[in-house]
Amino acid sequence: MAATLSLSGSPGLDPSSSSDQSVSSRSNNRSLRVAEKERKKNEAEDPFVLALKYFSDVEAGTPVHGNDEVEKNMVMVEKVAYMKGLSPEAISIMLEFAMSLRMGTTLCARVLKCLIPATVVPQEAVVRAVVWLGIGKIPISTRILFIKWVLTVFDMIDAKDQLRAIYGFIFSYVTEENLFPFICHLLYLLTRKESVRVFRVRKLLELQSRLGRQPFLLSLLSLYKVFCPELVTLSISSRIKSGFRNHNMPWKSALIAVQKRNGSQVATSISLASAIKTNPRKRKHCHLELPVLSSVVSKEAQTDPSSSRKVVPLVQLHSFAHILENMHRIELPAQMGSLLGSSLALQYLDCVQDESALLRLNFWLGHALHEEFLFCGDGGASQNSEEALQFLNTLLSTQHFLQEGFSCSEAFLYKFLSVWDGSLLRPQILGLLSNIPVVPSSQIRRLLFEPLMQLFFTSSLFFKCGLMECLNNMLLKWLTWHSVYALEDDLDISLNSHTSINMTLSRFKDSVMELVDFVGQLASLSLQLEGCHSLLLSFILDFYETVCDTFLKYGLPLVVMPTPGVFYPALFATDPVSVDRLAYIMYRYKVNLTSAKSQEKLTEVKAFHISRQTFREFNHYAVVMVNCLWNSNMFQPDMGVQLGEELLLKSNVPQYWTSFDLIHHPAFMSYAVDFHQRCWPERKDMDLNSIKHSKPWSWYLEYLFSQGYDGLKQFVQSNISRPLTAAGGHVDRQDDGHVDRQDNGHVDGQGDRQDNGQDDGLSTLQR
Amino acid sequence: MSLLKPFSKLPGLNSANILLVESKEEFQQSLADALVQETAFTVNVRLAKSLPLPMENEESRPRIDLVAFIIDLTSELSFQSTEASLKCLDPGYFLGKVCFMVTNARNAAAPIERLDAVRKLAASLHCPLLFTEDQRCVMFSPLQTPDGVTNATERLLTILKVAAGLVPMATALYLSNLTRSTVSPDIDQPSFD
Repeated sequence: MAATLSLSGSPGLDPSSSSDQSVSSRSNNRSLRVAEKERKKNEAEDPFVLALKYFSDVEAGTPVHGNDEVEKNMVMVEKVAYMKGLSPEAISIMLEFAMSLRMGTTLCARVLKCLIPATVVPQEAVVRAVVWLGIGKIPISTRILFIKWVLTVFDMIDAKDQLRAIYGFIFSYVTEENLFPFICHLLYLLTRKESVRVFRVRKLLELQSRLGRQPFLLSLLSLYKVFCPELVTLSISSRIKSGFRNHNMPWKSALIAVQKRNGSQVATSISLASAIKTNPRKRKHCHLELPVLSSVVSKEAQTDPSSSRKVVPLVQLHSFAHILENMHRIELPAQMGSLLGSSLALQYLDCVQDESALLRLNFWLGHALHEEFLFCGDGGASQNSEEALQFLNTLLSTQHFLQEGFSCSEAFLYKFLSVWDGSLLRPQILGLLSNIPVVPSSQIRRLLFEPLMQLFFTSSLFFKCGLMECLNNMLLKWLTWHSVYALEDDLDISLNSHTSINMTLSRFKDSVMELVDFVGQLASLSLQLEGCHSLLLSFILDFYETVCDTFLKYGLPLVVMPTPGVFYPALFATDPVSVDRLAYIMYRYKVNLTSAKSQEKLTEVKAFHISRQTFREFNHYAVVMVNCLWNSNMFQPDMGVQLGEELLLKSNVPQYWTSFDLIHHPAFMSYAVDFHQRCWPERKDMDLNSIKHSKPWSWYLEYLFSQGYDGLKQFVQSNISRPLTAAGGHVDRQDDGHVDRQDNGHVDGQGDRQDNGQDDGLSTLQR
Repeated sequence: MSLLKPFSKLPGLNSANILLVESKEEFQQSLADALVQETAFTVNVRLAKSLPLPMENEESRPRIDLVAFIIDLTSELSFQSTEASLKCLDPGYFLGKVCFMVTNARNAAAPIERLDAVRKLAASLHCPLLFTEDQRCVMFSPLQTPDGVTNATERLLTILKVAAGLVPMATALYLSNLTRSTVSPDIDQPSFD
């Protein structure tokens, strides 16, 4: 029966089909040899070959009911199938038997359910079965089962050229409503640029008007659009979520089991487990993985030796030079996921910007992520397995290599965040999170901030630190993206890559503002809840080190001051490093603000306008800081921290206004004591106030700066002018700690702040 | 019907009491074992299958600082039992002394409607909704992240500390404002762009 059917297709396919058959016969030979070996070892193999013979020879119309022989053989085939999978020849025979309905429709579904391939699925068998689909009177549910089976084993089909040749034939099935979603999926996998025709697009659009915007239809149309944008004028959202549902349920677990048992490395996208096992192999030994596919392709091209369109499969190229040579005729592999591990392939992909390839990659990736992490069959028992971890690590390194994220991983992350417990695969998830592109400010709260907030305040300190770092990285990446892609004259910044974002400068600034405000909120609340823990403070100050330099380092015309809930805990921190970092941050703010101000004056263009409020905030912080650390003038009215005088007196702290200056500050007191001992080793009584005299004061400062507190040094140098004369400076000091100031560029001691109503925000700093 | 009241008894010194309510009684045991390992303060864990609690223990039972309902998303009974138990709580508990803990959220067997229903319930009561992985993972590397139970314990302790008044300047109500669950519209809408 198998021999009488002839293959359809162009004559040009015949050499390749014979080579197909030679390839499949080679593999058949191999499997027969294996079968023979098995037979010699184990007599139980005999029944299987007999069973196959039975199925290939049985006459049409043989009754099924009460037929013990057919039942026995069926059970035999099923047993072998579930144990080690069926050989290609066996699949051929069984598929032929089932789809031809030789023994009625009851057995067809049963056979289809047990068609677990061991290695590959011969292409002709599938093509013949598709033909039977049209001829026979197969019931609808069985037809659907067949298509589902084809989708499940799609990557195990040894070649696809014949299937592509009958694309039109498969396309004609779209009119059947029951089969429609599955046919769409199959077409999606088979579509090439040549397959996109006007009449097909018209048909799909007509179906869409009848059935609505179904996700599978939209995915297929978007693929058509990618290939031929001029033919499909439909507007399709660029962020298509996984449009195709998973259809491999009846076979999935059996397939995984068989593959595990065989230890085979056949290219497949059936389950992530097997895909992960093959991915590392693919990275190093691509050519081992897909020899069948690639050789078919190159033979196909060789039928026309005169044409120079010899397509080179990507897997055969091993160096960058190779890629450059063959740039115009590289063919991407069928399994897009295999590209993830190879940096060469990624370079090619990034350079060529092939939208269809990116679409396929996004589709597969989104599918894999959803499958493995969101809709786990077993409730996630395998989640901490090596494979899942490795997969995510691969994805992370890919994103790191490409310097941006995939849109599907972004969509996946939003869904995952809403069911995350905060510790599962935390480093990977936080890494992926930091790679997401700029989120529009209208969505960012709902998508990102709300789930993060719920996780943040219920999680441990280490999660809080981790999330701070993640948000810091996210901000860094956004700022870098802006500084790279923003056009000089245009306020419109758009990104031509996987994520097509069009964003104006103002919208980008809004998003950044939202992020900084959100982190500020998280930071101040968590510092209070965790008792100003220094580790948390350190991560928060990391973030503000990024924020303070947005103007100078990243060219973004935006300056955001830290919230008081962060400033004051840092100022009064008990470890000197935090105070030093805060001083550095304030110094950078000053530099950014002065440069922004001067630029605004120079260019006369009001493209960049810092609000007076920002200047006021900065001035306030600077004044507080100098008063506190330098002037020994804490707790004055309308300084930052206000405490009633009676309360302060009650505390019995002598000279409470000096309690946070550079000598008495809890963070620096040890240095003051040390200095005192070195300076006056003969003194018995410790009188720290004696450091305040002019000479020891400058020595003390030098001593402090020599301990590595560069932030303090820069802050003092930029905000406080201390003319050092030969006589050791004449910085007048009065007993109550006020310091008179000289001019040029430093902070007022008291009250002298003028806000003249102009926009000259830094007037107090520069007289 | 006896309601469980939050403030009818005096608190213990440097201690916190948590009540774990789970109709299946599987996860709560491992959670309880991990919770009592806490050393910074004394944690007393009480387990229950559902509320109301038996009258016999009324006198000896200490003040319960936090009631955690554990819901298994793959079982409808779990959800219904929780809903029924909620009626036996004094309204004072809903000022930050109740939290919901959900297991098996990522399981394909859990219908999405149930997760939505739990979310709506938590949001309407202004309570935090915690997700946990109740699988114990196999040690495969020394640097691995803590498993689901350890993490769930840490999160419960974070809330418990505040609910028991052991964190200065923070009350349960204050924390619940920050952690309360929200119901967001469907992420899959085509308008998302």
